[in-house]
Amino acid sequence: MGADTAPAVPAGAALVSGRAGAPARGGRAGPVRARARRWRELGVRVGGVLAVLAAFELCSRLGVLPRQWFPPVSEIYVELFRLAFGRPLWVEIGRTLSGWAIGLGLATLLAVPAGVLLGSSRIAYHLSRTVIEFFRPVPSVALIPLAVLVYGTGLDMKVFLIVFVTFWPVLMQTIYGVQDVDPVAKDTARCYGLPPTAVFRLITLPSAAPYIATGLRLSSSVALVLAVTAELVAGSPGLGQAIVVAQSNALITRMYALIIVTGLVGWGLNSAFQAVEGRLLRWHPSQRQEVAR
Amino acid sequence: MSTERSPALRRAGLVALELCVPVLLLVGYGLWSHRALDFYFPPLGEIAEVFGRLWLFDRVPGDLLPSLVRMLAGYALSVVLGVGAGLLLGLSRLLRTAAEPVVEFLRALPAPALIPFALLLFGAGDGAKVFVIVLGAVWPILLNTIDGVRGVDAQQLDMARAYRVPFAARVLHIVLPAASPRIFAGMRTSLAIAIILMVVSEMVASSNGLGYFVLESQRSFAIPEMWTGIILLGVLGYALNWVFLRVERRALFWHRGARGRLGTAGPPGRRGRAARPRSAPSPEVTDA
Amino acid sequence: MLDVLGLRKVHGPDPDGPPAVADLDFSVAAGEFVAILGSSGCGKTTMLRCLSGLVPPTAGEVLLHGAPVTGPPKDMAFVFQDYSRSLLPWMTVRRNVAFPLRYQGVTGPAARTATEEALAAVGLAGRGDRFPWQLSGGMQQRVAIARALAYRPKLLLMDEPFASVDAQTRAGLEDLLLEVRERYDITVVFVTHDIDEAVYLADRVLVLRPPAHVSLAVDVDLPRPRHQVDTKRLPEFGRLRAELFAALDGGGRDAAAPAPSPADAG
Repeated sequence: MGADTAPAVPAGAALVSGRAGAPARGGRAGPVRARARRWRELGVRVGGVLAVLAAFELCSRLGVLPRQWFPPVSEIYVELFRLAFGRPLWVEIGRTLSGWAIGLGLATLLAVPAGVLLGSSRIAYHLSRTVIEFFRPVPSVALIPLAVLVYGTGLDMKVFLIVFVTFWPVLMQTIYGVQDVDPVAKDTARCYGLPPTAVFRLITLPSAAPYIATGLRLSSSVALVLAVTAELVAGSPGLGQAIVVAQSNALITRMYALIIVTGLVGWGLNSAFQAVEGRLLRWHPSQRQEVAR
Repeated sequence: MSTERSPALRRAGLVALELCVPVLLLVGYGLWSHRALDFYFPPLGEIAEVFGRLWLFDRVPGDLLPSLVRMLAGYALSVVLGVGAGLLLGLSRLLRTAAEPVVEFLRALPAPALIPFALLLFGAGDGAKVFVIVLGAVWPILLNTIDGVRGVDAQQLDMARAYRVPFAARVLHIVLPAASPRIFAGMRTSLAIAIILMVVSEMVASSNGLGYFVLESQRSFAIPEMWTGIILLGVLGYALNWVFLRVERRALFWHRGARGRLGTAGPPGRRGRAARPRSAPSPEVTDA
Repeated sequence: MLDVLGLRKVHGPDPDGPPAVADLDFSVAAGEFVAILGSSGCGKTTMLRCLSGLVPPTAGEVLLHGAPVTGPPKDMAFVFQDYSRSLLPWMTVRRNVAFPLRYQGVTGPAARTATEEALAAVGLAGRGDRFPWQLSGGMQQRVAIARALAYRPKLLLMDEPFASVDAQTRAGLEDLLLEVRERYDITVVFVTHDIDEAVYLADRVLVLRPPAHVSLAVDVDLPRPRHQVDTKRLPEFGRLRAELFAALDGGGRDAAAPAPSPADAG
């Protein structure tokens, strides 16, 4: 059993959550104090962000970093708001996200059935193991030139890359999830005479779901990386290309604004996945565990 | 599958089974490419011939080595920074809370988007590439270290405190080893990221390295050359991952032992899994 | 040697909250073996953590040799209940035992001698190169005891140290404890919820009732050396355990529900 057939680590949910100090023994004073603490934490967070921004602002204004290449954060934010009220920014975001969505969707459609198959059949698993183990660590970006040759620089190329790169995490998580179904639950169902399709629908799929969800969340951020990379390197339209264009036109402030937008998009997708995952799978121990992280 | 056969025979059968599909794929591609004469998909023999010509060992010092050096430098820096900052943030709730939004944002920011920024900051040299690698690879290590540090058994720390072990020694001998399974899990994720970012950064701005080679080959329609580059990158990724797993196995043997998973020489597959504690998709299962 | 004066401990920042330890007073003489008996959840562990200086008390004082305890004192060792969590799985048995010594300035041959001697005293000579997880539960707890012995403490605090081993192993560990205490001349404060164990081991048994305060103190005048079969057969043993059972049982009912409880010690 190759050690990396195991599910990937959900690379960090919230940094601060759960295990929130001692159990509230304070009786009636509990909720009040909890609320006070939440406000204090919010303050600390805002403070952290402001400190970092202020540091950059100072570096630029005091000339620690050359101002022409590293404009003050305040100017970048002004540019960011200007962009946000115009149409082009949203078009670029849409282009990047459409590649992301189509690629991720296709990969899921391919990987989940394949994972269920490989997870339920030992022979199929062993047959495909070597291929999987070989292709999985292949740095996906190495395929960019090939993808450009075959698909040009449009959306197809982006989608191909994203499908290739996101297929593996979803596949592995699905295989692992299906293999990890509680055999007792399966046997119980069989004893009660449930047909195999019902066993699959009622037992296998729900218990594999948390694994698949984690695979999707991991894949989502990788897909975004690939989309942006393809735009940067191969010049397919989207945020990545917009960044390059801004840079080559010496619109440095805009370039930074776009980088921040890219980060916000990634952060938004990440948060959305975490929220959906948390809501759908509240019953599963993995959620409780993530809360404890 | 029959369970009556001898283990040696079983294993041989398993290997045969596992090699079956790759061999078929290779043979299939060989036959197809021979007949199809597709410009983009040259025959295997041609790729192999070019591969031997280029990479044994003509271009190794010019392209492979610089790539490796950048990647390893970035990766090493990521490990040092990630573990160091992770210890700090894991031990201090205040710092952790203050850093959370910034870390969450930087983690979600696709690292290649920072390449233009890195170029402005460091110029087109190795510094920019190492910087991009670190900015992408540091997060899994950082977050896993934080989790690992927060997961340290309070009783182990109490024990050390009761025996008057000073703070620095507690961190070094208890917190760090206790968090190491998580740290390794993060390091494994980061390894793949570091390789990817090495390639990307070389594709965007470089005059040597594997990423540069692959992209240049494609742009000059040297298709077999491009393929050798892709294959070399695949082999590189596979090999580095393999080495990492060996190191991890050795470093964490106590972890497997403490979880009762040492010396289970039994057949792989279900039986090995059944012996494992059932648990959620948690980091603990990453090193079975 | 050890004096606990009006000890009070409240969890959380609010000093007026419900205490886990309230108005606890007792003293331990040098060389004495005191067992502290209490049902689960009566604040025993919190009390012990205050005694060891791991957590500061909310009010009151702990004096060791007449000096107030503000942090873990130098000549005190602590054996925890859960050996699997207090031994470090990444260190060999030998390194686990030797680990605290370095920070007491005991290094080189002196540390080696102390380690081997302690391991021999608990019957683990020659097992130093194993890892804790390669040993049985009873042997792991012996390692924890060896670690305490190598530390050369005057005072040994033990938090239900034998609660998670099986009965047979437990008897062996109890006798081992009595033997090494005799040999090393250690004062022991031993927390347990097991009446027989408390009576068998101790010179004096204190019954703790929630929130932790001493509700009864009983001197145990059983002859030493004690014997698992003979000692437990003595009529005095039976009398003591009945007395303690009554004291503890009332406490248990109090804590569980407002059942009509006999008005015993309060």
